Amino acid sequence: MLKYILKLGWKNVWRNPTRSGVVIITVLLGTWAGIFATGFFNGMLNDYIKGQINLTVGHVQIMYPEFEDLYNPNYAIPNAENLIRTLQVNPDVDEVSGKSVATGLAQSARNSFGVTIWGMDIENDTSVSVRSIKGYLEEGDFPEAENRNQILIGDDLAERLGLELRSRMVLSFQDVSGDLTAGAFRVAGIFDSFDSRFDENFVVVNKADLNRILGGKNLTHNIRIDTDDLMTAGVLAEQLQDSNPDLEVKSWREIAPDLRYVFDMQDLSLYLVMIIIIIGLIFSIINTMLMAVMERTRELGMLRAIGMNKSRTFSMVMLETVFLTLVGSPVGLLLGWLTITYFGASGIDLSAFSEGLEGWGFTTMIYPSLALKYYLNIVLFVAVAALISALYPAWRALQLRPVEAIRKFN
Amino acid sequence: MPTQNGNNMSVIRTEGLTKVYNPDQVPVHALNGVDLTIEKGEFTAIVGPSGSGKTTLLNIIGGLDEPTGGKAFIRGTDISTLSDRELINFRLNHIGFVFQSFNLIPVLTALENVSFIMQMQGRPAKECREKSIELLEEVGLKDKINKRPSELSGGQQQRVAVARALASKPDFVLADEPTANLDSVSTAELLDMMAELNEVEDMTFIFSTHDQRVIDRARRVITLVDGKIDSDEERTVDSG
Ligand SMILES: Nc1ncnc2c1ncn2[C@@H]1O[C@H](COP(=O)(O)OP(=O)(O)OP(=O)(O)O)[C@@H](O)[C@H]1O
Ligand SMILES: [Mg+2]
Repeated sequence: MLKYILKLGWKNVWRNPTRSGVVIITVLLGTWAGIFATGFFNGMLNDYIKGQINLTVGHVQIMYPEFEDLYNPNYAIPNAENLIRTLQVNPDVDEVSGKSVATGLAQSARNSFGVTIWGMDIENDTSVSVRSIKGYLEEGDFPEAENRNQILIGDDLAERLGLELRSRMVLSFQDVSGDLTAGAFRVAGIFDSFDSRFDENFVVVNKADLNRILGGKNLTHNIRIDTDDLMTAGVLAEQLQDSNPDLEVKSWREIAPDLRYVFDMQDLSLYLVMIIIIIGLIFSIINTMLMAVMERTRELGMLRAIGMNKSRTFSMVMLETVFLTLVGSPVGLLLGWLTITYFGASGIDLSAFSEGLEGWGFTTMIYPSLALKYYLNIVLFVAVAALISALYPAWRALQLRPVEAIRKFN
Repeated sequence: MPTQNGNNMSVIRTEGLTKVYNPDQVPVHALNGVDLTIEKGEFTAIVGPSGSGKTTLLNIIGGLDEPTGGKAFIRGTDISTLSDRELINFRLNHIGFVFQSFNLIPVLTALENVSFIMQMQGRPAKECREKSIELLEEVGLKDKINKRPSELSGGQQQRVAVARALASKPDFVLADEPTANLDSVSTAELLDMMAELNEVEDMTFIFSTHDQRVIDRARRVITLVDGKIDSDEERTVDSG
């Protein structure tokens, strides 16, 4: 690039500081908004995936192959205790939790509703499956082992059935011999998770209570495994399937296809957010730079008249935009990074909108986060956007006919 | 480029130049057959009533506009045969322009404005700078070389424009009403300076004007009426 054209492009940046300021701030805000929106959305998706995984899905689940079809309580995992012990020493496994499961009807004096009943070792199980439910406890306490038939229900089910703490309710389901059985439970606690579907459809009781009513000893229908990495869960599931050919081992990707979809689309969604912001950026830069060119009709006409060729004229206008971007983008990048870092630690509280979000299974605290590659890509996008938006004004500068521009002088 | 022993050629020669604006709607016959020859070293004024075609003629000679008919030769080169791209380069290297106003790039100093055209010609930075300073001294702006146009008076700006026009070492300088926006003192100063450069550097000047004091300084006065040469007189002037 010719030095004097560079110099002129740079000086042109400062001829109208207000307008250049507008472009710089537009670029700055565009970069910042790109980073923040992407980080926010990323945090939201991460939380969504993490919340769902922690609360219900886990990374890997092991069941008896036929269990899932009809939830027949006979299809418990044989020798579940042994399996759990071997899993606990597996280096790829972080946490293991075994529960018995039944599907049935929850009834109150007022109403009834179909639910999935989880029998968990609430007192002794310290794994994330129990921890996460405990984390959402809103009222009351956890069922205790010495008090028989206590139950933990979600706030939405409580509302539907008209239940309060210490209310009595009945769970009815099929037992191991295929007969319909029922148990009366007392509400020990009410939880309120981010996902109202879960709060309505799942209840938690002590495993011993559920198994007693089911009529089996030490029944475990489902073993849930958590690892330290969602990505490698599939590999672990395959290994465990190989070593336990009689059981069915599934990773979260198979268990929750909707989560898999969100997870796989996350990248694409983030780029979509970026692109939408970049398009807005392009239009505002085009607008301002076009003004800058139109305002300089006479000067550009004079330059063309005295012999400035098209490529120089074009470069001059392009360079001006590039300089403006070079100032705005790094500042926006820094601000974006600071915002993400700050809110990534403190979180953004969306509880004002929590009802709407809970319906979709989203948490109300969002912790924005963004991997380095997105920062780099946003900067790249902004740079490309700036070049694209400089093209049209620069092209318009070339369309100018010197004679006509000069006629306007006099 | 079809140029034939250029140095012996007249600087400018036109043959039956015509120009019709808006030929399809309401045709305006701005030039109606202009035959004109200008030799090296002339100091020539194009005069005539408003709308007589002065600007049109200068624009065609300057390679900024195309004639509807006829030919214009610059040192033997028929400029109508040049492509757009060649024409831009031709203007850069062969023609110096001084316009009525908006001659300078506002963000550049006087020195940078003069250097700029030489930089476009691809001359070395040192030469550009030295030659520019020399020219700005010649036009009497020695102490203003680092001023921007906004810090200069109208007359000073026009003098920078003249320095710029000479900096590219053109075959001739075209000036369409260079003094139209100047007061009489600045007009006289600019004319003195142009006359001196004409003498000292043997630079050819062609300018249009309405100003009788400017006309009085010209050594040849071509009068246009309705797009035709009405009179063409040589005269002697006392330079000073
Ligand atoms: N772009 C154009 N389109 C149509 N008509 C034009 C155009 N430019 C000039 N004309 C007409 O051509 C004629 C000659 O114009 P020109 O500008 O050459 O005259 P001039 O002698 O320079 O006038 P002035 O002394 O006012 O500057 C005028 O009638 C003018 O209106
Ligand atoms: Mg005119």
